[in-house]
This record gives sequence, structure tokens and C-alpha cells, in this order.
Amino acid sequence: MFSRRQMLQSASAGFGYLAFAGLSSAQTADEAARDPLATKKPHFEPRAKRVIFLCMGGGPSHVDSFDYKPALNRDHGKPGKYGGSLLKSPWAFRKRGQSGLWISDLFPEVCKLADDLTLIRSMQCDQPVHAGAMTQIHTGTAQFIRPSLGAWTLYGLGTENDSLPGFVSLAPPSGSSRNYGSAFLPAIFGGTKIGRASRGGQQRSRASSSESVPDIRNRSLTAQQQRTQLDLIQALNREKIRRDKYQPGVEGIIESYELAFRMQDAMPALMDTSEETASTLDMYGINGGPTDGFGKQCLLARRFAETGVRFIEVTHQGWDQHANLSVDHKVRAEGCDLPIAGLLKDLKQRDMLKDTLVIWGGEFGRTPAAQGGDGRNHNNRGYTTWMAGGGVKGGFSYGATDEHGYEAVENKCHIHDWHATILHLLGLDHEQLTYRYAGRDFRLTDIHGNVAKDILA
Amino acid sequence: MSDIRFILVLPIVLGAMSARADELSREQLSFFETKIRPVLIRECYGCHSNKSGNVRGGLRLDTKQLMLIGGATGPAIVPGDLEESWLYNAITHQDYVMPPKRKLPQSVIDDFRMWIEMGAPDPRVNTITKINSKITRNDIQQAKESFWAYQKPVKNTPPAVEDTSWPRSDVDRFVLAKLEQAVLKPAADAEAWKVLRRLTFDLVGLPPTPEQIKSFTTAWQRSPERAITSVVDRLLKTDQYGERWGRHWLDVARYGESTGREVNMTYPQAWRFRNYVVDSFNDDKPFDRFIQEQVAGDLLPVKTDEQWSENLIATTFLAIGSKNLNEQNRVQFAADVIDEQIDATTRVFMGMSVACARCHDHKFDAIPQADYYAMAGIFQSMQTYFGNPQSELGSYSGAQEKQSSTLLILPTDDANPFDVTMTRSEIQEIKDEMISKRREMAQSRRSGGRSGANAQRERALFQNSMAKLSAKLASVDENGKPLSFSMGVQERDEPSNAKILVRGEIDQSAQTVARGFPQVITNGSTGIRSNSSGRLELARWIGSDDNPLTARVMVNRIWQHLLGKGIVTSTENFGKTGQMPSHPELLDHLAVQFVKSGWSVKSVIREIVTSRVYRMSTTFNEGYHEDDPDNALVWRANPRRLDAEAIRDAMLSISGELDLERPRASVVAQAGYTRVQNGQLGSPNRGMGGARPGNGQQSDRSSGNSRPEFNGGNLQGNRPQQGRRRPGQFQQNGQRRFPGRRPGGPTGAQRGSSRTQHPLDMENAKFRSVYLPIVRDEEPRSLDVFDFADSSSIIGTRESSNTANQSLFMMNNPFVIQQSEALAQRIRKSNSSSTAQVQQAFLLIYGRPPSTGERAATSAFIRNFVAPTSLSERGLATLAVLCQSLFASAEFRYID
Repeated sequence: MFSRRQMLQSASAGFGYLAFAGLSSAQTADEAARDPLATKKPHFEPRAKRVIFLCMGGGPSHVDSFDYKPALNRDHGKPGKYGGSLLKSPWAFRKRGQSGLWISDLFPEVCKLADDLTLIRSMQCDQPVHAGAMTQIHTGTAQFIRPSLGAWTLYGLGTENDSLPGFVSLAPPSGSSRNYGSAFLPAIFGGTKIGRASRGGQQRSRASSSESVPDIRNRSLTAQQQRTQLDLIQALNREKIRRDKYQPGVEGIIESYELAFRMQDAMPALMDTSEETASTLDMYGINGGPTDGFGKQCLLARRFAETGVRFIEVTHQGWDQHANLSVDHKVRAEGCDLPIAGLLKDLKQRDMLKDTLVIWGGEFGRTPAAQGGDGRNHNNRGYTTWMAGGGVKGGFSYGATDEHGYEAVENKCHIHDWHATILHLLGLDHEQLTYRYAGRDFRLTDIHGNVAKDILA
Repeated sequence: MSDIRFILVLPIVLGAMSARADELSREQLSFFETKIRPVLIRECYGCHSNKSGNVRGGLRLDTKQLMLIGGATGPAIVPGDLEESWLYNAITHQDYVMPPKRKLPQSVIDDFRMWIEMGAPDPRVNTITKINSKITRNDIQQAKESFWAYQKPVKNTPPAVEDTSWPRSDVDRFVLAKLEQAVLKPAADAEAWKVLRRLTFDLVGLPPTPEQIKSFTTAWQRSPERAITSVVDRLLKTDQYGERWGRHWLDVARYGESTGREVNMTYPQAWRFRNYVVDSFNDDKPFDRFIQEQVAGDLLPVKTDEQWSENLIATTFLAIGSKNLNEQNRVQFAADVIDEQIDATTRVFMGMSVACARCHDHKFDAIPQADYYAMAGIFQSMQTYFGNPQSELGSYSGAQEKQSSTLLILPTDDANPFDVTMTRSEIQEIKDEMISKRREMAQSRRSGGRSGANAQRERALFQNSMAKLSAKLASVDENGKPLSFSMGVQERDEPSNAKILVRGEIDQSAQTVARGFPQVITNGSTGIRSNSSGRLELARWIGSDDNPLTARVMVNRIWQHLLGKGIVTSTENFGKTGQMPSHPELLDHLAVQFVKSGWSVKSVIREIVTSRVYRMSTTFNEGYHEDDPDNALVWRANPRRLDAEAIRDAMLSISGELDLERPRASVVAQAGYTRVQNGQLGSPNRGMGGARPGNGQQSDRSSGNSRPEFNGGNLQGNRPQQGRRRPGQFQQNGQRRFPGRRPGGPTGAQRGSSRTQHPLDMENAKFRSVYLPIVRDEEPRSLDVFDFADSSSIIGTRESSNTANQSLFMMNNPFVIQQSEALAQRIRKSNSSSTAQVQQAFLLIYGRPPSTGERAATSAFIRNFVAPTSLSERGLATLAVLCQSLFASAEFRYID
């Protein structure tokens, strides 16, 4: 791996590879070798080539979905370990698939694919509040601004499609850009936001159609004319970086222009789902109903994956049910259950699930004890995430919480372990994937992290 | 003072709570156990209890306490009062129909009537617990004595420095001393034109003109100090200063023109607060006064109605937070509003996260849970106004809003030109329509009405149309003249203390705590009298010279805006988990000076920008960077990306299109109280053409000037000088709102067809960005794309990203293209040769002429670019694309 300084040195002739590439449309092989986004060899044979992260904002309740706790039903109404009284799940759990994984009725479609899932029922993170926990699940820490999991992945592996960002975040909530940012990694490794979301799980209209990338086309200039314009812009930018010597911001601008220019062609094609068959759309629940918005995001995730984008994040907001759990958790689940199942089935039928790692999870889970009768509080000491495809076992359950679901007690999987495992599946050794910044080698897992080997297929 | 804080469990708090289990007579107990409890279990618990886990309408009936709390509409039971007891209303099938499928036998209904009339004796009382804080008085005392932020700032003698020729001021000495300690040298002064560009953007958010640069450079050659001083004096006097610095404040004040969240309703009066903030900065209103107005403006003595209006508008600060109108339980909603107010008040002014102590003691700072509820008492003694005015026929709100509120009426006449005037007969028509709708609805209900979904739909339709009519009716006085409203707060009749809530849950109350302030930064008594809420005292204490945090937090914000990074980088967190100051003595120095200047923000700005530190260049030093990658010691100036407003305003300014006149109100005001969905301001409630964004609003400015004097009557705000009067809302005893169940789930079901144009983007507006509509989650693209502050949160430090989205915006957005074309026209008017045109473009956009390399690049561009137009217009079209390229390149959006 190389440092920013090395990169600057290697780019000293052209002041950043992309800036140089901007000079002429024909690249030489030599220049391509300097492309920070060029495909890189992983540390070892990877199980997964790409990641789709289904990020459930707000903290979905594990004890109501993927972590079956018979004792919670039994002890309903009794005092909880940390105050409040225990609340049984409003949803029934059943054994699913051949594997017999216990999953509740909250996810009636996803549960049918139980035999493809590895449930990690012993998740832990350090942060009990949303913003902090969300930042930790993405970057490993909440204290500092650090690169996102997607940025590390892109830094480690490069991308297979240089006309699209290598890391995209579909409709992320506003004010969350540090969660998909590159921090001290070069800006080109940061996630590109596609569309925006409002709170409460609603995807905005302009985030879910072929026009959803604003300003994606120029109404008066041809591509050739715009290239001429861009050459001027980049010449000015290079001039600036030559004067400034060190300016990550300007490097980022140079890279983002090249990417934006190429995106103008690639993006509308990618976002145009008119060629998808009716049965595909049905599978994702794209039918104008409550699954329409998230269905489109999931479909886009598949399309991004197909074209070689390395890391795709899709956000589904609004899982924070301190109150009204029985109604609102159901509404949230109804919005995403079918689309997620559709995504898994579609990846399978295209034979992509084998090398696409799909991960599902929120920033934390929820307490077994009730809050206000029909709600649950945050719980970061034990919760569930799951993975599918990309080299993980199917129909497998890893780790466990205590009898009510408060705390992970068996095979604890801290966010650092989770990160280490994801990188491992991608063929990256989390201890070797480092970046030198300000005289120190940084890594995603800091000084922690153990690969959860049991879940590897 | 802590003695009054820890008042023990109060066995009798309110009259309503007086009937405790052990005080019930045997007859009462037996009545409850035989006649009431079985019915509750059989008929109600299925949908309204903790035990069943079903809480329809936010209502739980498990305990006495929960019955008193009630649900969305009001308390289920008010002992002794049938009229106010919603449970009785429901079982007698008035506004509610419960149980939903059939009526209870008359004998059972009679039992409930008797029971309520006898005071609703109920043995199902929560055992009131007492919470013992894990944070002891000792811990608090220790934090007080040892933690840096809780020590009063002291005046430090500026340290001695080796290089005595460099410093110009004490600020410089503090910075230089640290640099010398680390064996680093400050960067050389930046070039004159760069310093001016920095100054102008920093102080007024606009670029300097080439003429200003020229004269500044000349003056700089004579004396940099004098050149800077005179520019600073000039800039601080312009109105653009307040627009720039007011916007910084609006970031932390979480300014937004709608509630945000799932049911996103507009705040049509929010703009008044925006203008108030801008004007306050322009007036250099003493910052301690500015705080007092925002926290307790309604309680400050006033001499004139204008001042009174201003103070009422200032309290919008407390009312403007984002709100979850979808919350079904009004007690929960009220608790959440108070929480938001505590959070804003403590974090914005003092960098303290008191709201972390809502559910338990603060995990890191010495803030026991009791401190939170001491403040909650202050805020629960006040009413918050944020919604829609209530008409004389009552308060109606749309079916989707579970929570609503009325507004304050201002004592001054400041209605908008687009507000509608009505004739008496129009008013009467509306009243008649409302009355007849009400009659229809009542009839339909009496006749058994429709069932299930149909009844719900009917009720929703009724609610929505009543809400519209009511809002229309309320917008004028009895003569049909438009009234002027504002968001804000008013005191309730009687102040009250709050109870600590176990884990923050509304039905789990523990001991009562006296109203007060966080103990760790108070000494001695808070001075809150029993008949005052303590809010005025709070406002005065926050803005007091003795408060260790307030001045530090503000000077740190100012430093950050001018240098790019705070002395404390966690601008809202001066607690244990925040960052330590990089220059503690400097921070104290600035804080002390700030207070000494009479809390003049302008004087702090002046002190900083006239320092040598401010003037440093951004010159990079690799060795220094290895030692201090974050430039914490300030060995050079931080290169800063311009913020969104400055980028947009600078384009307008350079193209010559900028309209410096402040537009009237906001498109949100014009649209009125309405739900925002999919980027659209919904159909207006006010019977007018609806929002017409895109062309500004000044056009109809002139129409509303000759309005007769507003006759305050009994509708006005509570003028503090004259003691207590009925506060400035319409009377609260209007009609009851009808309850409503939310139809269907909120998940992305309703989605309009796709549009590339977004009306709230206002791409054609020419006024300054601070006046663009800030609807939560629907911020204009021109701002959003360049990391605008999330308007739902307190944002002291914006993000600064460089993304492909921004590149697309600069390449393709119609606004950018328009400004580039306008600039090309402007340049061509005064320059005929292309060399002169390029020269002028560089001067206007970057403040400097092009370098040789840049000349070559632009020449190559002019040669190679084949403009998509006829030959005669080619030159202009090429120039426009060239101008756009200059706007688009990195230099334009950086201050170096």
C-alpha cells in the first residue's frame, strides 16, 4: 500500500494521476498504473468481490427479528436486568428453512431465505447513541474522523468500473457524510452520495428515478465541448496544486471532476431501469406500494454491483422505536423485507451472490425491556446483524446473547471483529491494510479485530 | 443551593395525585375492584396497555398515572371532571367511539360516571421511587475545581516571545509562544490581495471587487495594519456583515422553516427569527443581551411595542427545533420538546450536553439527572408556540398531525404584503361553513355513522378541511385585516417543578426537583423565586460575566470562522469528551476581552483579523506537517473551502446579478402552514395562489404599506412590564381536536413523479443565500451540495467535502450556467479583446490576473472550443463557458 506522500511523488510529473489523465482522453499504460482506483491484488484469495451494505438506521430490534428469546416471552412483565419490565416480542418466531434458523414474522420474505444467511447474534459496539454508533459501524470509531469501511475497501481493492464511483451510498441521511467519507485517505476513495433521504425512511422522489442524480447532464454542451471545458478546469486546478504543493482538497476536486465527467454517461444508463422485466420489478416490490422506494434502491444496488462498483451502501431509516414498536417496526419492516429478499434472490439467479457479500444491520439493537409499554431503548451490548453470499455460510447462526437478549455472551463480535471479517472475506488482512498519515500507520480496526472464522463457508 | 435541589419524594404533589392506595376507603376500593377494573381489563387493555404491548393512540390505561397522562388528545381521566375525561367521552360515543364495535351497557357507563365524579379513586398507583444519583456533591465540587472549562477565564499576561518583531497583538504573542516552544516558525504574511479576499469573504461572505483590491494593495504597501483596519471598519458597517455572521448563528440555532421528521409541516413565521438574527449581528447587539432575548425575550421589560415584538420573535429560538408531530402521546411530545430546548440552550450557548442526563446521570460530565429535571422545570413552566393560529371556532389541525400549537400575535403590525385581507362577509362565510361542517359531522356520528375505514376517512377529510378554514379565519382580525404572527414562547400561569423520570419515561416519575441550573457551573443560589419560572434568571445567568463557559464558547466559534478551526475543535462540547483547547490562555484572553468589550462580537472579530496570525499565508511545510498534521499550533493559515452561501453569493456578486435587498419573508411564509412532501410546499391553507418560488417576492412589496394600526386587544403577547396578562395566543378553551388515526404507514408510499426541477431550489432567485427557504430535509440544492448545515441539528462546524456531486453542479446546474452567461455579458461590455476579457475574468473571479500558464491554457481553450451557437454569438458563448470554468475550478471555492 502506498502513502499520500508516495502518491504525490509518483504523481509529481502530472500532479495527481487523474489531473494528468484529464489532459488527454487517451491514457498511457504507465499512467493507468498510477490510477489509485485501478484494480489491486488483494492480500489473499478473496471470497467476495464486492459488498452491498443494507444499513438499517435507528437500530432495529434483534429480539423482535433475528434473535429468538423464548425466555423473554416467558418472563414478560418481570423486571429487566437494568430496570423496566421485560417486553415479549409482538411477533412470533418460527424455525425457517432446512437449517431451522429461528426468525420472526417481522421479516416474512427474508426468512424464506434463511438458508442463505449467517446470523451474527453477538454483535457489540461501544456507543449507545445513534450518531456515535452509526459512525462506529462505518469507521470503527466515533471519537475521530476516520475513513469509512467502504473507503478502506476501495483503497484496498480499487474498482472495476472507472466510469462510476467505486463506493456509492444511496440516499444517505443528511449530515452523515463522515460515515461514507474518506477522512485522511485520498478523497477519491470516499463514498459518492446518490440521491438523498429524508428522515423516517422516506426516500425522496428525486432519489429514486432515472433523473435522481441532479445535474447529471448539460443541456447545451456536447461531450466534446464539455471535455474541452473540463481540460481548462483541470489545467487551472493543476496549476493550483502545483502552487500549493499539498492540498488534499484540490486533489479531491481534480479527481471528482474526472469522475463526474464519466458519470454523465454511465449514470443515466445505470439509473434507467426501464429494461428490467416486470417480474424483476415485482421481486423487489417496485409497484408503487410501500416497498417501492426501497425496492428501487435495492435494484440499483444490484445494478451498481453488476457494473463493478466495489462497495454499495443502501440506507433504510426509521428503526428507532422508543414507542409504538408494534406498529412502526412493522411498517419499517414492510418497507424493506420484500426488497431485501428480492435483492438476494436476484443476485442468486444471476449467480452473483457467490461473490457479492450482502450485509444487513443497524448501529445497535434494542433492549429486551420495555420503554413506555410499546417501545424499546437502544442496546449496544448485544444485537444481531446478518451476512449473505460472498463466502459466508448459509443457514448459520454465530454467537449468542444472554437469555433475554441484553448482552452478547458467546462468540462476541465487536464492530472491530465485524470489520476484520468483512475485509477478510474481501481478501484483505485488516492488519496489513494500513495507510500512513501524519507519521503513523492507521487501519480500520485500530489495534483490535479478530476474524470470525466460524462463519466462513 | 444543593439542599433545595434534593427535595425528597413528595407524597402529595397535585390534587389529582392525592388519592393514594392507602388512603382509599374500603368502599372506594371495592367500587373500583368490582365495577371499574374488570371493565378496563375486559374492554380496554387489549388495545391500551403495557401488558398487551398495544398502545393505540399513545394511550395506556394500566395505572392511575397513565390514565392521568392519557393519549394523543388529553388525559383519559380527570378526577371529578366528566367533561375533561376523554375516557368518558369515548365510552359515551361523543368524539371517540369506544369500544369501537359496540356501546357499553348504560349501567357500566353509569358506573364510570360515578367513579369519575367521586374522584376516580384508583389503587393502581406506581410506587414512587427516589433516584439516587451516582454523581455525588463531592464529584461535582471536584469537577468544579479541577476541570478547565468550569474555571472562570482569567486574564493571562501574554507570554514573552523570542521573535519580538513578529507579533502585532496579544493574540499573536499567544500563538507565537506555542510555535516557538515547538520550534516552528509562523508562515510569512500572505500577499495583500489574498488577505483582502480572506477578509471580505470572512466578514461579509462576498468577494472583493478588482477596484477594492487595487486600492487595498496600494494602502498595504504603505501600512498593512492601517490597510486592514480601514477595510475592517468599512466591512463591519455593511448589512452584508450581519447576513454572513447571522447565518453562522442560524447554523447553531438549528434554523429551519419546518418541523422536519415524518410529518414535515412548515413554520411560516420562522423567517422573522432569521431577520432578527441578521439584524442583531448588524447592530452588534451585546451578545449577553442577545442570549437573554432568545431564552427569555418574552420576560424582558420593554419600553416600546417594537422592542416587545423583537423580544417575542427572539424566543423563536426555543420554538424552532425539529418536532415529531407524529408522536401520539401529547405528554411524551411535550417532554420531547422540552428535551430539545434544554439541549439547544445548553449546547449552543455553553457547550454543555445537559440533555445527555435525561434518562440517567451524565456518563462523563458531572451532571446528575436531577440537573436535567431542574432545567426541565423551567421549560415546562412555559408554553411553546410553533404551529398555526387558532381561530375563534377552535383549533383544528390536519389528520396527519398528531400534535399542534397556536402562534403568538405580535403587538406591532408587520403583516406580509401577500397576506390576505378579508371582508366581513367573507369571514362570516367561513364561519358558516365551519359551523355547518361541524353540524354535519355531529349528525353523521349521531346517526351511527359510518364504520371502520369509512369513518376514519370521513373524519380525516373533516379535519383537513376544518384545519384549512380555521387557519384562514385565524389569519385576520375581526375586521378582516391580516394579523402578524410569530413563533415563540410564553410563561404558563403557574411555574412548576419537574419530577425526575426514571429512564426518562413519562409514567415513571421519581422525586421532584427544584427549578435550577446545572450545579457544576453555578455558585450559590440561582435566585429563582417560587413565583417565577426561573427562565429569566437562566437567561441572565447564561449571559453573565461570571459564567465560565458562555464567552469561551462564543469566542471559540468566532475564531473557528476566521481561522478555519476552533481553539476547541469540538465547538459544541466543552465537556470531558470534548477536545482540549489547543491554546487555553488565548481562549481565555479572547473570552475576557469579549466580556470587557460589553460582549461585542464585532470587537472580537476585529481583534482577531487585525492580528498577524490572521494574515499568515497557507504556505505548506512538509516537516511541520509531519509534526503537526492538523495545524493545531497554527504554523500557517488553513486553506478553507468556501461555504455554500459564499459560493453562491460570490457567483451572483461577480456576475453583477446579486440583489442586496432583503426579500420580504420567505416562500414558506407565502405558502402558509402546510405539509411539505417530495420537495413541494403542499397546497396552501390560505386560499391564495400558493408559493411561487423562483422569482423572488419583492414584486408585490409595495402593496401592504398602508395598513391601519393594529389594535392589540386581549390577543397580544404578555407584556412583562405590566405584570401578568393573558398571553398572546388565542384562548386555549376552543373546540377539542378530533383524534385521528394515521392512515397507513409512512414509508415511501406517496411518491410523486420525478422532476429534475425542485421548486424549493429557487434557481432563479438573485438575493443572498441566507434568504433562501430552509425547509428541513428539503434544503436548496445550491446549498446542500456544498455541505450546508443540517437544519435539524445544532451545527457549529460544517463538513467540508469535495465530491463528484459538486462537480456535476458546477458543470451542469442552470444557476451556474446563468451566472456564467451574465458574467460573460458583463465582461464583454467593457472589454473587446479576448486577452482583456480573460484578464478581467480572472480579476473578478480570483482577484488576480492569470499566470503565464493560465494564459496559455485559456488561449488553448478559446482556440479549441467550438461554441454551440451561431458564429456571431460564438465569442460570447465561449466566454461564458470560460467564466464557468473559472467558477468551477478549485481556486474559486478556496480561501487561501
